[in-house]
Amino acid sequence: MLRRILGLTSGRIALGILAVIALLAVLGPLLAPQDPLAGSTDILASPSGSHLLGTDYLGRDVLSRLLDGSRVSVLGALQVALVALVVGVAPGIGSVYLGRAFEWAALRLADTLIALPFLVFAVAVTALLGNGIPQAMLTVGILISPLFFRVSRAATLSVARSPYVEAAIVSGASVGWVVRRHVWVKVLPPIAVALANTAGIGFVVVSSLTFLGIGVQPPAPTWGGVLAADLGYLSFRPWAPLVPTALIMATVWACNLLADAIRDVSGEAGRALLNTRKVRAGLAGAGREA
Amino acid sequence: MAPVLRLQDVRIRDNAGGRDVVHRVSFELTPGAVVGIVGESGSGKTMTCRAVLGILPEHFTVTGGTIELLGRDVAGFTGKEWTAQRGSTVSAVFQDPASYLNPSIKVGAQVAEVVRVKKGLRRREARRRAVELLASVRLRDPELVYQQYPHELSGGMLQRVLIAAAIAADPQVLIADEATTALDVTVQAEILDLLADLRERTGLALVVVSHDLAVVAQLCDEVLVMQHGEIVEQGPTSEILYHPQHSYTRLLIAEHESYGLDRFLEAPHAARA
Amino acid sequence: MPPALEIDNLDVHYGSVHALRGASLTASPGETVGLIGETGSGKSTLARAVLGLVRASAGRIVVAGQEVTGYSARQWRAQRRRGTVQYVFQDPLRSLDPDLTVEDSIVEPLLIQGRPRREAAARARVYAARVRLDEALLSRLPGELSGGQRQRVAIARALVTDPEVIILDEPVSALDSANRVRTLEFLKELRDSGAALLFISHDLGSVAGVADRIAVLYRGEIVEQGPARAVVNTPEHPYTRLLVGSAPTLRSAAADRAQRAELRALLTYEGKPS
Repeated sequence: MLRRILGLTSGRIALGILAVIALLAVLGPLLAPQDPLAGSTDILASPSGSHLLGTDYLGRDVLSRLLDGSRVSVLGALQVALVALVVGVAPGIGSVYLGRAFEWAALRLADTLIALPFLVFAVAVTALLGNGIPQAMLTVGILISPLFFRVSRAATLSVARSPYVEAAIVSGASVGWVVRRHVWVKVLPPIAVALANTAGIGFVVVSSLTFLGIGVQPPAPTWGGVLAADLGYLSFRPWAPLVPTALIMATVWACNLLADAIRDVSGEAGRALLNTRKVRAGLAGAGREA
Repeated sequence: MAPVLRLQDVRIRDNAGGRDVVHRVSFELTPGAVVGIVGESGSGKTMTCRAVLGILPEHFTVTGGTIELLGRDVAGFTGKEWTAQRGSTVSAVFQDPASYLNPSIKVGAQVAEVVRVKKGLRRREARRRAVELLASVRLRDPELVYQQYPHELSGGMLQRVLIAAAIAADPQVLIADEATTALDVTVQAEILDLLADLRERTGLALVVVSHDLAVVAQLCDEVLVMQHGEIVEQGPTSEILYHPQHSYTRLLIAEHESYGLDRFLEAPHAARA
Repeated sequence: MPPALEIDNLDVHYGSVHALRGASLTASPGETVGLIGETGSGKSTLARAVLGLVRASAGRIVVAGQEVTGYSARQWRAQRRRGTVQYVFQDPLRSLDPDLTVEDSIVEPLLIQGRPRREAAARARVYAARVRLDEALLSRLPGELSGGQRQRVAIARALVTDPEVIILDEPVSALDSANRVRTLEFLKELRDSGAALLFISHDLGSVAGVADRIAVLYRGEIVEQGPARAVVNTPEHPYTRLLVGSAPTLRSAAADRAQRAELRALLTYEGKPS
């Protein structure tokens, strides 16, 4: 699938941006030219040779803070996405095959979770369980899991009712066989799309929480935290908030773009795309008859 | 008798694909006559019908020949004139009746709407007339059907409702494009019988389009066999059935004779004149 | 020879709806039986009962000497794995997994039986050749094939376990003239495999050409049954007469409009629309 996504322009752009962000997350702290926590007397400075993005109100190098803070955002977003996936997918598929009672219970649970506002809950959880991104992300992940539940349930339902699954059953296939051979392949693409979208949501959630000062202890740097600090000193460095904003936006946009690209190369659309390409390359047509 | 519909050397072009989809189609329809067009999908039969109704898709145009409705050349018709002619002069029913009805409005109201718009009748009058129309298409309980939604009716009943709507404004020509294709064979016979009945009662002229030669043969005086946009054979039904010239016509006949009931039925008598 | 399929007084209920009543039918090996009925007549229900997809409320079903009435889910799975009954769907496009290659689809029943992949693939090639499917198509996806080719893939998949009974559901309804003829020709050859064919359709015309015997299903009951020629030429039940009279024929109208109207009135249509 990766190859096919790279075949799309949107896919290349999305993966490119996300690769950069991932790199920043991994190598950020090492690439930081200055110590992100080190203050100096040179406060609210404009960009210069030693401080490419200037300094903040405590004289700390903004670039270093952003590079260092990328880790929190990326990990937080991934955490949300993975928790949601793990909690949502299995019940989603199970709701089709594990009987009426399970189906009913799972649907009601999903409905309940959807009704809850996740940002508010995240804040509440940090109040209860202590200040920390992991706890907050766990909560948000659970609250977003209905998305994965719905997506995998819908994909499974559409496969489960199809004639080709009936054909397999007529030949003696067990539920396990049907899921392994037919359902799984059809469920993966929508899950991948949901994953990409959720990662984007995760970024926004982390940025929002850290913007509010929740989740990480100052002076640890985060994108949201830098943005909040910048907004406080707008008159001194008016362009400053644009940088963390641009970073957050670019990342979220790339996530959504990736989701679109995955959707474009999978399922019905994906097969059509593949077919058109084959026709163009002159490969198809050999087997077609009048 | 002056023909109600006349096509002369009609040519239709697909501007997007850059080729002709219909080459030189000609036939005449006099009042009370029935012409049948047989062909597979892609043969041009549907495009021909659409041209007669003025509903060719975006990039299709009539590039040659003439189409005359009641003696008037349709090439000169404006949008308004087409709207006036559709339903009152020429009308149509198609395959898959359910998709031509609004699923959230009762069918009676949908027929009444046609009556109101085309005949200018007021609500109560239109309702009465709609019930009359539903009765004329042999629906057993027209008052009851009036109150029903599309999903409550079977395919055959829906098609009758659409026929009722199609004849609401008393057209002279009714085009039935694969109108019975999606229906069970007994229901198909009911609809074809209904069309024959309408023709006898009201002098309605019909154009019956199908991929099944037998359906066409059952009802029609004249048959056109189309393939790849061209008429490969044309003539009175008995000629086509008993003295087919073109290989495609022969294939269609052979199919019925090898695999259809024709193989079994003893004592064949002459096809309908 | 014992019958390949025996249905004795079968009743099926869907909730309170009595979909099939007292249906009795047998099919001998090598025989083609046409089951004709309208939508809602119960023909699909009968097929599903034979496949164990719906439960019979009364009666017996015996497949190749094995009584399958009252089987549990596990017994059904074992029975199906024997591959004695196979099914060809109406719509070949939807009956093939769009993400699996043609070969994958054809070998599936064999893999479910537990055969090794290589053996299954070899068999697939043999049967693909039997249905005259070009070997190059085996690695393609269903979306790349024409309607007629897909139908042949579905038939190959049905043949691959050497079934004794093959049920075909409207096998030619979705096809155009040329493909229809080809497929019907081919179905005639299927008989040589020795299997009993149960051909389900609403169209008497397409079935009459290939069936040895015809059973007519009307509102859940088999109202007439017999050799094809007899049923078509001397139908007894009013519904059969209406059916024969309704099927479009080229040269003779087996019944005319007035006769059909009479038959329709004769059949009690209460509850049945139009």
